[in-house]
Amino acid sequence: MRKYGMLGVLSWLMVSTMTAAWAQSETCTTVLKGRIMGQDSHEPLLGSTAYIRELRAGAVTDTSGYFRLMNVCPGKYTVDYQFVGYKTVTLPIVVTRDTLITVPDIQLVPDNQMLQEVVVTEHRSEAQQLLQTQSSISGAALDQTRGQSLGESLKTITGLYSIQTGPTISKPVIHGLYSNRIIILNNGIRQEDQQWGTEHAPQVDQFLASRLTVIKGAASIRYGSDAIGGVILVEPKEMPTRPGVQGEVNLVGATNGRMGVASGMIEGAFAKKLTGLSWRLQGTLKRSGYVRTPTYFLDNTSYHETNYSGDIHYQHKNVGIEAFYSQFDTKIGLFTGAQVGSLADLYAAIIRPEPLSKPGFSYALDRPYQAVKHDLLKIRAYYHTAKGGTITATFARQQNTRREYDYLSFSGLTNPELSLKLVTHTADLVWEHRDVKTSGGGQWSGSVGFNGITQQNIRQYLFLIPNFRSYGAGLFAIERYAKGRVTLEAGLRYDYRWLRPYFLNEVTSQTYSTIHHWQNANGSLGAAYQLRPDLTLTANLSTAWRAPNVADLYSNGLHQSAVAYEIGNPNLKPEQAYNSNAVLAYSGHRLSGEIGFYNNLINNYIYLKPDSVPIIRQRGAFPAYTYTQVQATFRGVDATLNYKITPQLTLTTKNSLLFAYNKTEHNYLVFIPPNRSDNSLRYDLSEWGKLSDVYVSASGLYVARQNRAPAVTTRQEDGQVIFTGDFAPPPPAYFLLGAEVGFTAQVGAHPLSVILSGTNLANTAYRDYLNRFRYYADEPGRSVILKLRLPISVGKQS
Amino acid sequence: MKQIEIQVIGLICLVLLMTGCNRDEQNVAPTGDNEAVTTATLVLTNKAVPTEIITATIENLNATVDFTRATLNLRANTTYTGEITLLNKSIMPTLDATEEIRNLANEHLFVYIPTPASLLTITLTDKDTNPAPGPYPIGLTQEIKTGLAGTGKLKVVLRHQPGSKNGTPTPGTSDLDTDFPVVVK
Repeated sequence: MRKYGMLGVLSWLMVSTMTAAWAQSETCTTVLKGRIMGQDSHEPLLGSTAYIRELRAGAVTDTSGYFRLMNVCPGKYTVDYQFVGYKTVTLPIVVTRDTLITVPDIQLVPDNQMLQEVVVTEHRSEAQQLLQTQSSISGAALDQTRGQSLGESLKTITGLYSIQTGPTISKPVIHGLYSNRIIILNNGIRQEDQQWGTEHAPQVDQFLASRLTVIKGAASIRYGSDAIGGVILVEPKEMPTRPGVQGEVNLVGATNGRMGVASGMIEGAFAKKLTGLSWRLQGTLKRSGYVRTPTYFLDNTSYHETNYSGDIHYQHKNVGIEAFYSQFDTKIGLFTGAQVGSLADLYAAIIRPEPLSKPGFSYALDRPYQAVKHDLLKIRAYYHTAKGGTITATFARQQNTRREYDYLSFSGLTNPELSLKLVTHTADLVWEHRDVKTSGGGQWSGSVGFNGITQQNIRQYLFLIPNFRSYGAGLFAIERYAKGRVTLEAGLRYDYRWLRPYFLNEVTSQTYSTIHHWQNANGSLGAAYQLRPDLTLTANLSTAWRAPNVADLYSNGLHQSAVAYEIGNPNLKPEQAYNSNAVLAYSGHRLSGEIGFYNNLINNYIYLKPDSVPIIRQRGAFPAYTYTQVQATFRGVDATLNYKITPQLTLTTKNSLLFAYNKTEHNYLVFIPPNRSDNSLRYDLSEWGKLSDVYVSASGLYVARQNRAPAVTTRQEDGQVIFTGDFAPPPPAYFLLGAEVGFTAQVGAHPLSVILSGTNLANTAYRDYLNRFRYYADEPGRSVILKLRLPISVGKQS
Repeated sequence: MKQIEIQVIGLICLVLLMTGCNRDEQNVAPTGDNEAVTTATLVLTNKAVPTEIITATIENLNATVDFTRATLNLRANTTYTGEITLLNKSIMPTLDATEEIRNLANEHLFVYIPTPASLLTITLTDKDTNPAPGPYPIGLTQEIKTGLAGTGKLKVVLRHQPGSKNGTPTPGTSDLDTDFPVVVK
């Protein structure tokens, strides 16, 4: 058992096989159980379904007529109980924080007219059907993260971290991998917003999501190459079907940064002649000023965000078409204390215990800043038949413009230092075949599809990455077989990538270009086995690859915010990952939880290796880094446990451990998240006076010091001290205290959800290893946040 | 219904053709650095013998630096008046950054550091217009006194200190940080 004996554990798991632990949620652990019977026969109906409309999740009954819906978040839902040849029964249900809720037996009445077959998997989103290790946040748990960036909200899931650039930029990290090794699927579209940069945050409006799902580990087969770290799915709410107009208002205010967020959504569906036509408009406005650490304000850390989106959907019989447009626009102030023009500046800033400039509070947002805008247009059409399954065609155009502004230079030019415009067109065609039942009681389900992508990048001003044109095409097939307590899954994918960067010879003014192309085939195998009704084991083996991106190949410039001269390597080979993971999930009456192990071996892992010779430029000597390839491993354990001490009092512990290693150079990798443990105690009261869903919780987050980091070494070069490995050793471990109170109050006919939370309550001064500005300043201090959510409905009929 | 599907796919193809086919990426914009300095020149005039002028130039600062004409050959125990010129030759017409710095004098400071420290004594002779407790020196012009014979270097650093200039090098960031070799005979 070498280092958590991942392979040993895995091979045992593979031999013993497993069942569906579909969506393993962190805070939503309720299991909904029930039995569906035929009223005529008084016999259990094998293969009937219970489907929660709001969650788009369902379960199929077993031979005794029992179904189990796992990981349901507390809330009010509508459940459809269905069986072929029987009338559908629809009943409301209130899910409390209990671990197990048993609904009374459901009696279905036979329908003389044979109904169209309704199968639960049709309701499930494709992602949820995958056997891959998943975690999701939705409902009340998602409400608790409202107002935060995507990167920050996801940190409530084990195995997820974020790389920050000051308090305003946060990038998600899955099991130690980030940037282009993660795919973000925003509303079904592969988000292309220049994630190659470590200071480029995803351009996603968190308020658009009704569910955030994270697939941990290589998930390339369905979502395309590159996803060797995982996939983040930002899934919007279902379009309304009930005629009428309704909406929702979200307001968030925080003391630190004096942040204010307002987000509104209004949607409607038509009746009569326009039945099937629905629409939605949504917008978010966010403003925040200088963030305060326990002792000082961080100069120029203001943040502006303005987003809006519109969606129109029409469904008639078996055909549907949807058009969606969204714009995400941010202006992000960069902390001036971290602005260093040279290595000497950097050393001076590291030595300083506090930043030089400690202004008072302000909402001002001056240079240096980033202005980033992301536009998405999506058109989706689908055609569904009972016999043929569903064919979905999706086209999307995304435009991401990123402008980075430095301090106003002596040349007086007001243009940005860096300007990049990335235009991406994607076209996808997916066929989900209808579920095929075998005579032995098994069921086949699956899909095949094509993904096409083309990108165009246009740069201006400073050179960081070249202009380019790229094409990509992928073909995939995934097939699943479920029988009894076992589900098996296998997938195959082939990808082709073509890249042509364009350069300018500044002497001759001639443009020249080169062409790269890569291709690869990958596969995955998954199995889930229900050991006992309350114990499920899931395991996966998958391979994935990532073609080097243009930044890996052709970066050539001074990355000023990083004080490093980064040199691309045009000879890089694609990264190839071999990922294995296993999850054991248990849901008992008082105790529930899951433990997951993973091992990701990456050949040709691309990383920036410090060179021995510094580069001398206008601003002095700089350490040079060249993109290099090594064999790297990422291994870890994610463990969540919920224990009901009393029916009202729940103890939750979430732990993420990660061990990464550079096997080629026998050294640790830089920027690997340290181990963390998040523990909370929560007291729930379903009713308290006129309030409902009342809860109080206290939490403590412990983040260890990263002891597995490359040693910081120094040497003299041209009279300058040059650091290798890192510029400063990892900061010490820290502990943060948090608390939260939440309830729902009835305002007229509408339930107003109120959450009051406090972060870093002890006002601890600390620094985080994954914050790129940790050399310069402390992390934010105490903040008290108020979140309000009010659903509204306008009239009865549109 | 098949008809609708065909029409939709047709429309998608049309949109793809219309939007996906511009070739703007083939028009590569030249690299432009707002703060590029390609050339730094120090001109020193012997205070006692004004016809004796020493010029040292560092070229190609923003790429592979050329120090071939950078050495300052000075006389021992002599006082020189000096002036620094910074040019950006990477754009047409050449930008005289010195002029721009003079216009933004209230947020710039030149710092001169000789190694060894005994080699030269430098006094900045110009002042900005910062309000009290200013004005502060700028350093575009200076007086350089040589000591005994020896060799070493003179580090020239241009500090950009928007809104934070206080007469010391500490605030702000470096726009230039380069070394002139010095020979005192």
